[in-house]
Amino acid sequence: MKILVVDDFSTMRRIVRNLLVELGFSNPLIQEADDGESAIAMLRGQPFDLVVTDWNMPNMTGIDLLRAIRAEASLKGMPVLMVTAENNRDQIIAAAQAGVNGYIVKPFTADTLKEKLTKIFERIAASGAAA
Amino acid sequence: MNTMHVAAIGESLPSELRDLLNSPEGPAFEQALDVVVRQREQHMFRALGQLARDLHDAVRRLGSDLAQEGFPGSVADARQYLQDALEMSANAAHRTLDFAERMRPQAESLTINAAEMLKWAQGNDPAAVLARESVMFADSCREGLADMVVAQSWQDLTGQRIKKVDGFIGSVQTTLLELVRLTGALAGSEMPASVAKVSSQEEADRLLSEFGF
Repeated sequence: MKILVVDDFSTMRRIVRNLLVELGFSNPLIQEADDGESAIAMLRGQPFDLVVTDWNMPNMTGIDLLRAIRAEASLKGMPVLMVTAENNRDQIIAAAQAGVNGYIVKPFTADTLKEKLTKIFERIAASGAAA
Repeated sequence: MNTMHVAAIGESLPSELRDLLNSPEGPAFEQALDVVVRQREQHMFRALGQLARDLHDAVRRLGSDLAQEGFPGSVADARQYLQDALEMSANAAHRTLDFAERMRPQAESLTINAAEMLKWAQGNDPAAVLARESVMFADSCREGLADMVVAQSWQDLTGQRIKKVDGFIGSVQTTLLELVRLTGALAGSEMPASVAKVSSQEEADRLLSEFGF
């Protein structure tokens, strides 16, 4: 499974990568981008199965990245998990309205990440089976 | 508003104007009116000039206060300290992540080796006991390492706040610069050519020094 981790902090990208590896995802298949702009370019260039993104980033924020993904025919079905320190109601609602698949508030634990990822993949599997 | 203005003037109209209002001498009336207007303008300009000088002095004092505060010596220094803190905390977090990444494969191989050992050592065989203990230890190590990795997200959380403070200082710096530019112009200083557009820290510092900061 190819995963794109998007965050402007290199420490956070590494933390998410570590946790994904710990959860059994293949390390070489995890790629990183430091803002929404470079993420969308990477998503257009190669196939990914999941995007894990921060909210606050320069150039293009996580919510704008999410909207850009949903607006693009070839990417709109991409599962997007938002991992962010933004925990106010309006922002969570905005992410939900933009079609986010999961929302994790920092700081989080490996268990929370695992739980949200499992939920995302269960839903995808269910919709895939239904289709 | 016009009506109020006229009413106010009517009440305080100098007697020479009131007389002229009823006289047929048009040019004389206009001349008298000009004199009154000019007097009022001069009052206003004097007040504005005083205000501009006070503002300029205040900004000048602010500028020298900033420079004399000592530590941090200047806004640029303060921003640099924040950048340093950001970098140092990132390096520290990366170092911890290095440890975790180095230890995890070791814990994993301990689990594998212990499982191998348990294929031929069973029951109360000391080798089997040690192997089972090793598995438990390796498992709790992996769990602990994962927690340690997650705990490093403090760097991201504090880093975001540092970036916000840096952005705030940046906007204060820009506003201060605008104030300096404005008071310089109000006080009648010749506008330096560099004032037109300030895009770098060096230009900002140069502009500030031209105004005596």
